[in-house]
Amino acid sequence: MIGRPVTAGEDPAATALEPAIARLLTVGTYLAIALLTVGVVLLLASGASPRSADGGLDVGRIPADIAALRPAGFIWLGLLVVIATPSARVATALLGYVRRGERDMAIVGTLILVVIATSVTLARIVEG
Amino acid sequence: MSPLADGLILLVGGVATGLFGSLLGLGGGVLIVPLLTLGLGFPLLTAVGISLICVIVTSGAAAGVYLERRVANLRLGMTLELFTASGALVGGLIAFAIPERVLEGAFTALLVYTALTMLRRPTGPAAGDAPSEAAPDVPSTFTSRLSGPDYRVHRLGVGIVGAVGAGIASALLGIGGGLVKVPVMHVIMGVPLRVATATSNLMIGITASASAIVYLLRGGIQAFVAAPTAIGVFIGASIGSRIASRIDLRVLRGLFVAILLYTAWQMLQRAIA
Repeated sequence: MIGRPVTAGEDPAATALEPAIARLLTVGTYLAIALLTVGVVLLLASGASPRSADGGLDVGRIPADIAALRPAGFIWLGLLVVIATPSARVATALLGYVRRGERDMAIVGTLILVVIATSVTLARIVEG
Repeated sequence: MSPLADGLILLVGGVATGLFGSLLGLGGGVLIVPLLTLGLGFPLLTAVGISLICVIVTSGAAAGVYLERRVANLRLGMTLELFTASGALVGGLIAFAIPERVLEGAFTALLVYTALTMLRRPTGPAAGDAPSEAAPDVPSTFTSRLSGPDYRVHRLGVGIVGAVGAGIASALLGIGGGLVKVPVMHVIMGVPLRVATATSNLMIGITASASAIVYLLRGGIQAFVAAPTAIGVFIGASIGSRIASRIDLRVLRGLFVAILLYTAWQMLQRAIA
């Protein structure tokens, strides 16, 4: 890898990484949209307005809400999938770079996940 | 208004903003926030939180295609998004401390800037898409490894500063930040326009999610409003990407500039009211 720019188009290992990340993004997005759609259909079928209170995010309540076919469970899970998909993409890329021994890109990927973890921690501290 | 009508308004509004945004190469945030605030009466911070969700959805769908086709530069995108995400984290934390009128004033400036950018944008399909400079055989450095097969990345430091600014703007205003990132990558860093646009799109997801997490955990995302809007934006963006080649964008762009300027006027009035 020394001597010239490495690009996705030239690097055989990259040919496996980028399609895998592309699939992850596509699957994550479609899964999120499917969950949100089920939630909105259930919400409207129940006669509740989208402007009504959503009860706030309570991760522990999501499985029970989904089991009971309550719209909040599907909608909150869909939103969590939306927000988590980009981080999953970074984690996948990080693993790929580690496997290929690209230390600098592995560090970049790790730092991005640290920033995301920091935003979760700081938001909780500020809110608490 | 009936619940069904409320849901349909959010869905159709989302479709319209997703369609417009996709046809004009925007993430859609610049349209979703005015739709929710001026059109439907939501507070600005609520609109920003919902808009962040919508731009992550549109970014995820488009970025998958761009990566599959090898248009987006994953290495460059990840390097810059480390800094957009840091900026977005800071922006997300300070957004709740900034008076809403100040944010509305900033959004007005953003709308005017977007309108001016649209007016100046070249109309040719390949305008500005020429390779900036062939990548010569040079000793491998971190910057050289960010380059592509037919272009070389320059001035990474300036790009990093631009990325931080784009991240802060994204968190405060609920936008993808492409209006900052694309010019920085293309004009300053020497990345071809098509690659810069695709890479910017890839970066939106992690940038917006860094601040969306803050909005989510601070109760700033109204889930039942976000869901139909995000579905609508996804549908609109999907339709837009399929019909873009059949639409006369010059007419659309003129109409869009008029809408942006009218919206900027409405937002300004709201800020000073």
